[in-house]
Amino acid sequence: MSLQDHIDGITVDRDEGGLLDIDREKAVALAVFLVPGLTLFGIFSVAPIVYSVFGSFFSWDTFTLESFVGLDNWIRSLTDQLIIHWPNMQELRYPMGALTHNLLWVVIHVPASTFLGLGLALLFADLKGRRFLRSMIFVGFTVPPIVIGLVLMFIYDPRAGLFNEVLRVLGQEQWVRNWTQSPQVAIYALIAGGIWVHTGFSMLLYSSALSAIDPSLLESAKVDGAGAWRRFRDIIWPLVRPVTAVVVIMGIIWVMRMFDIVYAAGGAAGGPNHAYSVLGIEVYRAAFRPPIDYGMAMVVALVQLFIVAPLALYIARMN
Amino acid sequence: MVAITLENVSKYFGETVANYQVNLQVTDGEFLVILGPSGCGKTTALRLIAGLEQPSEGAIYFDDDRVDGRSPSARNIAMVFQNYALYPHMTVAENIGYPLKVRGFSPDERDEKVEDVTSLLHIEDQVEKKPGALSGGQRQRVALARAIVREPTVFLLDEPLSNLDAKLRQEMRSELKRLQNELEITTVYVTHNQEEAMSMSDRVAVMNQGTVQQVAPPQELYDRPRTAWVAQFIGSPPMNLFQGTRRNGSIDLGEAGTVDLSGVLEAKEAVVETSERDDVQSTALLASDTQGTVSLGIRPENLTLASTPPPSGNVIEGRVDTVEPMGEYILVNVSVNDQIVNAKVSDRTVSRGDRVYLTFDTNDAYVYDTNGDLVA
Ligand SMILES: Nc1ncnc2c1ncn2[C@@H]1O[C@H](COP(=O)(O)OP(=O)(O)OP(=O)(O)O)[C@@H](O)[C@H]1O
Ligand SMILES: [Mg+2]
Repeated sequence: MSLQDHIDGITVDRDEGGLLDIDREKAVALAVFLVPGLTLFGIFSVAPIVYSVFGSFFSWDTFTLESFVGLDNWIRSLTDQLIIHWPNMQELRYPMGALTHNLLWVVIHVPASTFLGLGLALLFADLKGRRFLRSMIFVGFTVPPIVIGLVLMFIYDPRAGLFNEVLRVLGQEQWVRNWTQSPQVAIYALIAGGIWVHTGFSMLLYSSALSAIDPSLLESAKVDGAGAWRRFRDIIWPLVRPVTAVVVIMGIIWVMRMFDIVYAAGGAAGGPNHAYSVLGIEVYRAAFRPPIDYGMAMVVALVQLFIVAPLALYIARMN
Repeated sequence: MVAITLENVSKYFGETVANYQVNLQVTDGEFLVILGPSGCGKTTALRLIAGLEQPSEGAIYFDDDRVDGRSPSARNIAMVFQNYALYPHMTVAENIGYPLKVRGFSPDERDEKVEDVTSLLHIEDQVEKKPGALSGGQRQRVALARAIVREPTVFLLDEPLSNLDAKLRQEMRSELKRLQNELEITTVYVTHNQEEAMSMSDRVAVMNQGTVQQVAPPQELYDRPRTAWVAQFIGSPPMNLFQGTRRNGSIDLGEAGTVDLSGVLEAKEAVVETSERDDVQSTALLASDTQGTVSLGIRPENLTLASTPPPSGNVIEGRVDTVEPMGEYILVNVSVNDQIVNAKVSDRTVSRGDRVYLTFDTNDAYVYDTNGDLVA
């Protein structure tokens, strides 16, 4: 039997039995694992979305579908001053509308927590006891956001609050105020308080990205004459870019779906006169607080979804 | 360009002693190879020269400037890392141009220099690729190009050929040597591969357990290994060492026979005189009547095999263990006093189990004392 025959023999064997069997087994296994997942995905993700899109074109009497109204819900919701408040925006006065507030979170919270996380990760990369510090900060991420809201209430409390106390100690009495109830500053106070939560997440991802960088690359850059800043700009930053993408997008998703912290600090109204309400709060109020406006709840939830879904898809398709 | 001096340099990592009191001089334009087994501190020594580590003790000089304490970028060195350390997100051209960019060369100057080195190393057509799309040999060339592009004064290479296949390694070996000759840059090259060390170097520094055992040109390293350890490290297969007892001017090898020490010493007289210490010791050794253990070293290529006892001269008796034809020569493993001795012979005249007699020229024998130092 020549070598060629032998090889042919092997391929034939494989075609006839082995591979096909394995493939069939694999397919069955895949199905077994996929069917429950897909079913759940259908029930809890696809169905509500389809239902919302459908329902957003109808008028509602509380929870019952009434009649087709076309874009009526959409126009009504998007022109509602609770969602976008043009006059106040022009005067930079709060409330500016839930959507604007959400975008403000995106613009301030996301870059701040991203860079803070990267900074801390870099700092801890060559620090003794970094494990402990790292876990301390990461714990911030594991705390339920509603608890964070409550902690913020405590920190910002007008009389007993930690923050005001610090201001008093520093002799900055003129700044002492009821932070979560002062319309013009409350949203910034909440954003600042929310940052450390997401910083834990971003730091953790950056930490592992940094430790995955081959140290000889940085040494090579050192030998090539690059100082600390250039090493960061030319080597580290480009190499952690995939992580930056994940951190930024996850951050956007997180703040676009913001609810708990705002609810804890400002209740279902989203602060005094909706001063720092967000889309999540508006959905909640429209859906569950009288007067119930189910059409608007669906539209606002879909707006949230339209902003978040493409980002989530982008992350899912990254390699 | 520059001479490098290491003066009593030690490097400790906590409990680990990576380098211990290393003294080393690399002359201007020299190609020095640091050779030693894995973990002996070669990389550490190189990194100390580069400035990527600071010595725990001792001083490092470039010419007359003390450089320990200076950053790597202040030393104008170039280094090729074992894994090449190419920047994965930059193209080949950007990789090679990076040291120039950092040092503020204009884009035009940069392009020109990059073009020069890429054509020198025959990688002109790879410049647009990312390192991930290159073969091992091409990556190595890129790393070399990046190292030489800004004309450093010192060139440091850490096992740059170890990731290449045998043929490419051979090619790159001569190319590297040619390049170094052309550029005349002081070069320190780390390897654990003897052949590489012997074929490329002007001088070899043999290291073991953090210390430098011997620094010598390749031929001298082979001809006069200063310690028993070096003797057993250099050569393939390495030198045979026979444990014996020195008694009345000869070495008693037990059942295997006796070797006349005076013959060995006389044969070595000319060489021994070059080193004072050896001279004193060997004379003392010869004169003394006291007993002591010594090692007799003979290279496999200097042993002759005979099936009958020769009439005169020094003879070591043993039994053939295995015979390995290697093509170029035949390697015979002979069991002498339960020790396996290698002999390289040209004809296959013996077979397993034969009683054989090993003879050698006293010129080719070495004697090491109990400390492993060469005495004759
Ligand atoms: N950064 C470090 N921290 C702790 N120990 C180290 C460090 N670098 C090297 N060592 C230790 O120092 C000794 C010498 O290491 P070195 O890397 O210089 O060896 P080497 O001769 O280059 O070995 P190889 O041929 O395997 O590369 C080893 O025992 C190693 O474990
Ligand atoms: Mg090494």
